[in-house]
Amino acid sequence: MSLTPSRPQLSIGKYPRAILHIDGDAFFAACEQSRNPALKGRPVITGSERGIAASLSYEAKAAGVTRAMRISDIKKICPDVVVLPSDYETYSILSKRFYEIVRRYTPDVEEYGIDECFADITGLRRVHRCSYPQIAAMIKRDLDRELGFTFSVGLAPNKVVAKIGSKWQKPSGLTAIEARDIHRYLSKLSIGDVWGIGTQTSAFLTKHHMHTALDFSYRDEAWVRRWTAKPYYEIWQELNGRHVLPLNTEEKRAYGSITKSKTFTPPSSEKDYVFSQLARNIEAACMKARRYDQEPTEVAILLKSQQFRVTGLRVTLSRPSAFPHEVIDAIKPAFEHLFHSRTLYRSTSVHLLKLQSIEKSQMDLFGGHVHVTKMCNLYDAVDKVRTKYGKNTLHLGASHKAHHIDQHHGKRGELAQRKHDLLPGETPRRRIGIPLFMGEVI
Amino acid sequence: MKTPLLTYITTYYHNHGRIPRYREMLAATAYKSLSTIKIKTDELVEAGFVERDDTGKLSPGRRLRALPILGSVEAGFPSAAEEELIDTMTLDEFLIQKKEATYILKISGESMTDAGIMPGDMALVERGREAKNGDIVIAEVDRKYTIKYFIKEGGKVYLKAGNKKYKDIYPEEELSIAAVVVSIIRKY
Repeated sequence: MSLTPSRPQLSIGKYPRAILHIDGDAFFAACEQSRNPALKGRPVITGSERGIAASLSYEAKAAGVTRAMRISDIKKICPDVVVLPSDYETYSILSKRFYEIVRRYTPDVEEYGIDECFADITGLRRVHRCSYPQIAAMIKRDLDRELGFTFSVGLAPNKVVAKIGSKWQKPSGLTAIEARDIHRYLSKLSIGDVWGIGTQTSAFLTKHHMHTALDFSYRDEAWVRRWTAKPYYEIWQELNGRHVLPLNTEEKRAYGSITKSKTFTPPSSEKDYVFSQLARNIEAACMKARRYDQEPTEVAILLKSQQFRVTGLRVTLSRPSAFPHEVIDAIKPAFEHLFHSRTLYRSTSVHLLKLQSIEKSQMDLFGGHVHVTKMCNLYDAVDKVRTKYGKNTLHLGASHKAHHIDQHHGKRGELAQRKHDLLPGETPRRRIGIPLFMGEVI
Repeated sequence: MKTPLLTYITTYYHNHGRIPRYREMLAATAYKSLSTIKIKTDELVEAGFVERDDTGKLSPGRRLRALPILGSVEAGFPSAAEEELIDTMTLDEFLIQKKEATYILKISGESMTDAGIMPGDMALVERGREAKNGDIVIAEVDRKYTIKYFIKEGGKVYLKAGNKKYKDIYPEEELSIAAVVVSIIRKY
């Protein structure tokens, strides 16, 4: 490679830090293709239970299918498409395995999403007796071989540039960007394609004649600090080869917020039913919060209409609580306010915000303590029953309709295949935590 | 050499830090006379569990001091304790070697019945492991999984069924091996 770049370099050296971004290629669709040879090489989409494409295989992408396209429309442009219900259980198992395989090489792994992670391999060349690009290649080889589908890897001096690397050649790419070469990549990247730069910021920067990521990187530091918010200054620094964004490698022990959301079909304008869907999400979110000994101070609820219009409200609780009946009472007025009987709703979601740990939280002043102790015991028991017999065995009356009317009415066939193909001794509620190869084995 | 007397002495020693007197031994065991006790302790002296000094007094021997102390035990031999379980493995560990690469499947065909693999059996398989001659593998043939022996002879590879009714499969192009079988599970 000629080392006489037409544009000035942004940084020097190779890898002052060695950060990887690893991204599963079409993750959900790939999970499906990897365990069923009948699906290999065919356009596959997942998400039939929601009526829209949640994930699509590269074959489907090539046929012009895009994410969130309606399945009825997809079948028109791609008649031989295979439409599958989501099997989040299997995707989650494979996601955990993905992180574990990366952890064979370094303990510093940030689980960024179900299908992507960051890893810091700085200083590990001697341990593995090879260069950083070779370590990246070994991790990719293990992932591809053991999970049965491909991953794309970016190696760079920081997270923002590593993310550019993993996107550079998809699928199954490995792009190593040394600090001294960053400018070559940025000149070919439009500003809106940089991780963390949204449409608003991208429009603002374009107005100031910055079209490529390189244009932005060349801006002087004082201008960036004066005119953009802190996250963009951090991105600017990373584009210039500095390492400023740390990896969040702590395993999830506590949450900043907890979200539970569920879509139901057909859409409904029946108030009780929509409320019970919301109540069910609140129960699930509270259960998760209790598992991490946390409770929220604020709760936001959102309703999404069939036209994908989202309305929401946030309520502050008089004291923190992770007990669903209290939270449900507290948000009821907000729900009444949001709900319109002539609107068809397709999903509800709840966000538990400003979570704090239960030990720290204050008890209510007037006799609240006794009440709360009783609740703790009750919900301890509820959580135990759920662990033993399955998470939907006990629920509040408020969410009864959501639990006992099929989530996707008239779509019984939309249950993940894994939940039909039970092994001896498995029940619809509990299965072996090992992915199952699908189809006949003859 | 697990005599009732040794068991008693061991337990007593761990609980009290000394060797019991002859009379105590007589009371605690089924032996009927002090002379029997004397003969029995002589055997223990011989074996190195206890030592007898010039005055005839007993003190703990080399082997008694070396016995592991497994908590305090009321009577009899020390009971099983955590320490003894360290070197055991779970059924998961026994059946699975590489956790992240292991998958499960259910067999429906009869192509491996002579190998004792029956329809309805489940197999634990490992992805990414290199198939060696004679391994039982899961291959992808005509968009389907098939379970067969993997045979490598003189640079040629093919799939062989464990059932004479089935013909060998010679790959036209590359043989696609999805996984290598590591365990077969049958549940009754």
